[in-house]
Amino acid sequence: MSRIELIDIEYYHGKDTPYEIHALKNINIAIPEGQITGIIGHTGSGKSTLVQLFNGILKSHSGKVMIDSEDIWQKPKQIKRFRYKVGLVMQYPEYQLFEDTVYKDIAYGPKNMGLSEEEIDNRVREAAAFAGLDAELLERSPFDLSGGQKRRAAIAGIIAMRPDVLVLDEPAAGLDPRGRDSIFNNIREYQKTLNTTVIIVSHSMEDMARLCDSLIVMHDGEIAMTGSCDEVFSKADELVKMGLDIPQITKVMQLLSEKGIDVPKGIYTVEQAVEFLKSLRKSKKEALQ
Amino acid sequence: MEEAFIKIENVSYMYEENDGFAKIDRYAVKNVSLEIKEGEFVAVLGHNGSGKSTLAKLINMIYTPTSGKIYIKGRDITDENMSDEDIMGLRKTVGMVFQNPDNQLVATIVEDDVAFGPENLGIPSEEIRKRVDDALADVGMTKYANHEPHRLSGGQKQRIAIAGIIAMLPECIIFDESTAMLDPVGRKEVMESIIKLNREKNITVLMITHYMEEAALADRVVVIDDGRIISDGKPIEVFKKEKELRDCGLSVPQCTELVHCLSENGFDIKGECVDVVSCANMIFEALNL
Repeated sequence: MSRIELIDIEYYHGKDTPYEIHALKNINIAIPEGQITGIIGHTGSGKSTLVQLFNGILKSHSGKVMIDSEDIWQKPKQIKRFRYKVGLVMQYPEYQLFEDTVYKDIAYGPKNMGLSEEEIDNRVREAAAFAGLDAELLERSPFDLSGGQKRRAAIAGIIAMRPDVLVLDEPAAGLDPRGRDSIFNNIREYQKTLNTTVIIVSHSMEDMARLCDSLIVMHDGEIAMTGSCDEVFSKADELVKMGLDIPQITKVMQLLSEKGIDVPKGIYTVEQAVEFLKSLRKSKKEALQ
Repeated sequence: MEEAFIKIENVSYMYEENDGFAKIDRYAVKNVSLEIKEGEFVAVLGHNGSGKSTLAKLINMIYTPTSGKIYIKGRDITDENMSDEDIMGLRKTVGMVFQNPDNQLVATIVEDDVAFGPENLGIPSEEIRKRVDDALADVGMTKYANHEPHRLSGGQKQRIAIAGIIAMLPECIIFDESTAMLDPVGRKEVMESIIKLNREKNITVLMITHYMEEAALADRVVVIDDGRIISDGKPIEVFKKEKELRDCGLSVPQCTELVHCLSENGFDIKGECVDVVSCANMIFEALNL
């Protein structure tokens, strides 16, 4: 468990060139410990740039990134320490597999950490299990795996370093519905078992609604909203203005409210909608009697 | 009877898989028969590895079937004696747009990229000029004609890839998960272009997707599981069988699921819906006690 705080962050792409873009503006956030935090925002809103600051892959032009109250750039030569502490699974991580067996690929991180053979073996097997990868696949070439299996192998490679914070950028992109569900269940299990701080970047509001304890909404390089799923999804109109997609159920509820039904805000799953409509039916029946 | 635009007759495609011990033969597509009419908009659903992409690649002659026949406009494309010219002609008739926008663009300026296809077909330059302008207008990208493709968003890049296909004046376009890597806004832009091409230019569309909400916009949905067609009909008929779809790793749009749940909970809802507007209308009627 670890605490990430960003203080007064400013970041530019291509600083001092004609193509300069102010990618992150005045970012001040603290990521809750031991929870799953979702980061949402349209393409170009700064989500991926933001998560790359967490372990020092990118360095902000001003402001501080604090992990457990330590400024990660205090001693730049020790930045590696924070790379092990904060594990970042990038978008389409399967393109980064390179070893000749899945086992070696997952072992790459722990090996660089200078762990013993025995410890590496433990970690590889444990990480594969957390990522939902069958042990029998470990001796295969990563290039013989299916897309979903490759994704799991890449995630296992990060988990094997036992990071205090696990950051996943679009972990379910391109997977079918069952693959999405199963990867998210694995992440949830992993988080619960180890009480790790998990940060997920995703476009899918439906998935985020089910998975996350709290949300951060990015818009044009700024933090536009933070709060629980209920709080954020109750501002559906604002989300749509920011170019985000709201869950279908929220749209249906909006239409019902236009028809004059008194719909509470923050209904975004099928279960919530069914419960609400059942209670509505009940009160209507009672009123008639 | 009207002749089918694409006719697939008992097609199978087999490949060798290495399971780490021995090579085994596996069917990616097994004894599939399917007819697609001119001007139809067909969505193909299936989980990762179900064989849907293989089917698309068979139609565009990237793969050759192990057995069975495929006809495009009555022409047998599995005929081994077909000349290179015939193959080129057919590839021009059936264009394909792939998943990753970054892998499909070749030029450094948008209009050069769109012109790449027609240039290779040996079309006179005045004609190319016209085709490029028309194609960019069709996808709503005219004002980006002189931009650099790598600076565009994912949705814009995909629309440029589509324009590049349109400039070859195809009669049919196959979209192989062309929205999978896009954000909600990009997905919407691409879907709008696809629908416009189908409705206004009568281009036959075969769209492979993982998104149930996108499939719901087609005239017809074909579901593939384990290399076989297991369901084929209007979206409303296909999504009615929610359990069957879930059994093969797929799902249904949230509003379809909501209506199913409500009817299980004793609500007086008859019929099916695949879009938010009819969903809201059906619920509104059911609530009117």
